[in-house]
Amino acid sequence: MHWVRRLFQKSRTEKHLDEELRFHLEQQIADYVAAGLRVDEARRRAQLEFGGLERVKEEVRDARWETHLDNLLRDFRYAFRSLRRDHSFSLTAIFALALGVGSCTIVFSVVYSALFDALPYKHFGRSVVVKMHNLANGGDLKDRKYFSPEEVRAFREQNHVFEDIIVYHGFRPSYDNGHFIHNFSFGMLVTTNTFDYLGVPPLLGRTISQEDGSPNAPPVFVMNYRLWQREFAGDPKTLNTTFILNGKPTTLVGIMPLQFNAFGTNFWEPFSPDQISGSLMGRLRPGVSVQTAAADLDAIAHRMHKANPGGIFAEDKFAIVPETLLDSLIGDFKKTLYALLGAVLLLLLIACSNVANLFLARATARQREIAMRATLGATHGRLIRQLLVESSVLASTASVAGWVLAYFGLKVVVALIPAGTLPEETVIRMHMPVLFLSLGLTILTTIFCGLAPALHVLRGELQPRLAGSGKASGGALGHGKLRAVLVVGEVALSLVLLTGAGLLMRSFFVLTRVDLGFDPKNVVYFQLNLSPSYFFKWGDTASIKNSLEKKNALTRQLLARMQALPGVTSVSELNNPPPLTSETSDTIIPGKPHAERWETTIDECSEGYFRTLGLPLLRGRLLSVDDASSARHVAVVNETFARKYFANEDALGHKVKFGNLDLPFVETPHDIYFEIVGIVRDFKTRDYVNPSWQTVPQAFMPYSVAGYSWRSFMARSAVDPKLLLKNFGQELRDLDPSVEIAESGTLESSLHKFYRGPQFELVTIASFAGIGLALVLIGIFSVMAYTVALRTHEIGVRVALGAQQTNILRLVLLNGFRLVAIGVLIGLLASYELTRFLASQISGVSATDPLTFAAVVTVIVLVALAACLLPARRAAAVDPLVALRYE
Amino acid sequence: MTQGKAEYVKGTLDLLILKIVALGPNHGYAIAQRLQQISKDFFQIHQGSLYPALHRLEDRGWLEAEWKDTETGRDAKFYTLTRKGRKHLEAELVNWERLTEAVALVLRTAE
Repeated sequence: MHWVRRLFQKSRTEKHLDEELRFHLEQQIADYVAAGLRVDEARRRAQLEFGGLERVKEEVRDARWETHLDNLLRDFRYAFRSLRRDHSFSLTAIFALALGVGSCTIVFSVVYSALFDALPYKHFGRSVVVKMHNLANGGDLKDRKYFSPEEVRAFREQNHVFEDIIVYHGFRPSYDNGHFIHNFSFGMLVTTNTFDYLGVPPLLGRTISQEDGSPNAPPVFVMNYRLWQREFAGDPKTLNTTFILNGKPTTLVGIMPLQFNAFGTNFWEPFSPDQISGSLMGRLRPGVSVQTAAADLDAIAHRMHKANPGGIFAEDKFAIVPETLLDSLIGDFKKTLYALLGAVLLLLLIACSNVANLFLARATARQREIAMRATLGATHGRLIRQLLVESSVLASTASVAGWVLAYFGLKVVVALIPAGTLPEETVIRMHMPVLFLSLGLTILTTIFCGLAPALHVLRGELQPRLAGSGKASGGALGHGKLRAVLVVGEVALSLVLLTGAGLLMRSFFVLTRVDLGFDPKNVVYFQLNLSPSYFFKWGDTASIKNSLEKKNALTRQLLARMQALPGVTSVSELNNPPPLTSETSDTIIPGKPHAERWETTIDECSEGYFRTLGLPLLRGRLLSVDDASSARHVAVVNETFARKYFANEDALGHKVKFGNLDLPFVETPHDIYFEIVGIVRDFKTRDYVNPSWQTVPQAFMPYSVAGYSWRSFMARSAVDPKLLLKNFGQELRDLDPSVEIAESGTLESSLHKFYRGPQFELVTIASFAGIGLALVLIGIFSVMAYTVALRTHEIGVRVALGAQQTNILRLVLLNGFRLVAIGVLIGLLASYELTRFLASQISGVSATDPLTFAAVVTVIVLVALAACLLPARRAAAVDPLVALRYE
Repeated sequence: MTQGKAEYVKGTLDLLILKIVALGPNHGYAIAQRLQQISKDFFQIHQGSLYPALHRLEDRGWLEAEWKDTETGRDAKFYTLTRKGRKHLEAELVNWERLTEAVALVLRTAE
């Protein structure tokens, strides 16, 4: 490879070039002599024609590639040298860029992982889940995701928008392991095309195939990795063994990898072919939008409804609303991600203005050097290349530093993301595209920031810069203006970031410090996992009645045993531990027609509910032991219920009906009117979706009226309530060993779970705002220090003419403050516009909260003051003699 | 080389050099001489153009260089056309013919 040789044998190449050109010259001389010229005349003429030997050599070198490489290496060496010499500049620029790029890389990684790489399933971006939305004012559920076999068949056969549709339905079979029967996990009935649809191969064995769905196929199921590890210690011999599920021998044919977690269940079984009903998921054909799909499915559903009225939505007032699979899984976290993305971009802008500022200062200081090199013959191209190399050295270093920062920062952020916000399948990590994006961003930034000022210098006249002292020359003025603009911009951007963080903080305090209206201290709750012996057969009235009595007997006995334990103050049965509201029902009050939907949060509970939560009775009476034991149709309501539905009347004594109890698939006696016997004080509630506290109409009925399998208990104690849980478990085992405690905890800890989402957003955005503020501090400081250095001469003259130290101090401070004031003003206007986007994520505080705005302005002004103070003091300490001699 | 001629030569110097070298291996001086002779003194290539061009063509692998003795017994750098260079030359010649034909056509027709 002769080009490699050439690179390493540069001296030889040079020698050869010299020889080649000399040979040419000598040949020319020889020819002239042969033509009859005298030797000295021939040499003179040949040399004249040839021109400078060195110049020709230079031109030849330019034609060869290794020279370019050589120059580039030299540029790199020069860049390193000059960056090292100016290390305070380099370090500050790298620091600012690394912070900006690092933060961006973190957020980009989270966004990329959560939105573009969230799920391991084939084309998951085109998967949508289908929901039916109730548009009627009264009636039943607001939404339903369950579709009957006829509806499923209609959607599968008549749609024009899906490539493929899968159907799935949750179930919880009993598992007989030979010793005892229990519910070991949640499962899903799925259509046989499900695994093909999702496109993930099994870890062991096989997935469910087409044949498994045929009427006489032997029953099989596929298990997920977690259950396999938890219950069977990951033993490969588990495969192909037969389990007794719901009394039916079922063979385990496959185990899925850890990443596969479809529908959040532990195992999958095929539907029997005539009973395919449940939730629908479909993959849109390429190019079909969710809206198009909605229209297509809506038409099918309405056509079906016309042909055969009835069903869950009795009226023809419903709409089919498909939602992308990802949206249905991450929901509101998307908004948080967008807020983070906004914040981090603001931060990047601050970092960029900082770097641009530093480069500007440097370019001004280097005017003389650049002018000198240009005068000595460096071409513009050469100078620009030199500056480009310098910029890219800085950018690469900053990128690497930023990545290191992002690597550790990402771990912190991932740990902060509340459990359950992202699908279990999602793994957040740094992706190559993100790294390239951030590298590109850095290089672009540095080149833009580094080259623009340099070009500015090159474009102008060189002579005056060469003559000037380099620092105090007139060229600095234009840059001074640009620098001022950058500082103003930085202050404004940082103010927007801080306002966002401030609002989130205020909202978080409102959220956590709010008076809930109940006392969560020293209260434990737990849920029961009933065994199949408590279940009933569909449509079998005797079985339903029997099941209800059995459940209520267990509840009554357990409550009595819990109450008898030492340390227990009061106990209660309930559906859901507050503050979470889950069951919202349509409300019907005779003689009170209403246009809009009346919704009440209902809970079936025992008489101890109010005492356990510390809810004071306002009027009437509370539920009594008798109400519960004889399942009386009475209800206690809250203040909001009474005020909203009975305005000026007395609610006591009125009758009320709750639509939910009339639903066809609920094990409740239908068409019951409850008499309102008491009114209690409101307490605050919230649901899964909306982060803010709400006061909603509530009603409490005796648990014994309904036969729900969903049984929760809570107890208030005088001692640490967690200690009681073990005793409760013991009592439960004594009563019925087949029933287990499912989920348990204290009310306080479950309250904290709600705070983790807002806390995540607050911590991340506040960190970015903090970093932004630090960058602004550096930015203002460097500009002020630079301005003072530029004006040393002027200040010296002022002092010499009698200016006092305080005058100088004021001069510099005012100078800095003018910039800050303009920045604050612009920032306030921008914040006023931009915080609207945060409105959906804050509660209890307005998006234009004056207190937050005032606090943020104070912080910025204080930081700016600190940044100006040091340069101002340096200016005030200028010795006129030194300053004047400085020139 | 005079100014006017330089305009013509700019893109064609490489082509001319390749063509001359295609006649047989030669050193830089001889190439310049041959070019001048054949063109009846129209092309007088300056060293400042010739040698960068030669080195550039060598860089691209169209020419190969070798140090050999001349008839006078002196060591000189001889350039030979490579196979790649020959291919390039052929392609360029076709292009050149097309270009000149087209130019001629326009000039004739537009008269």
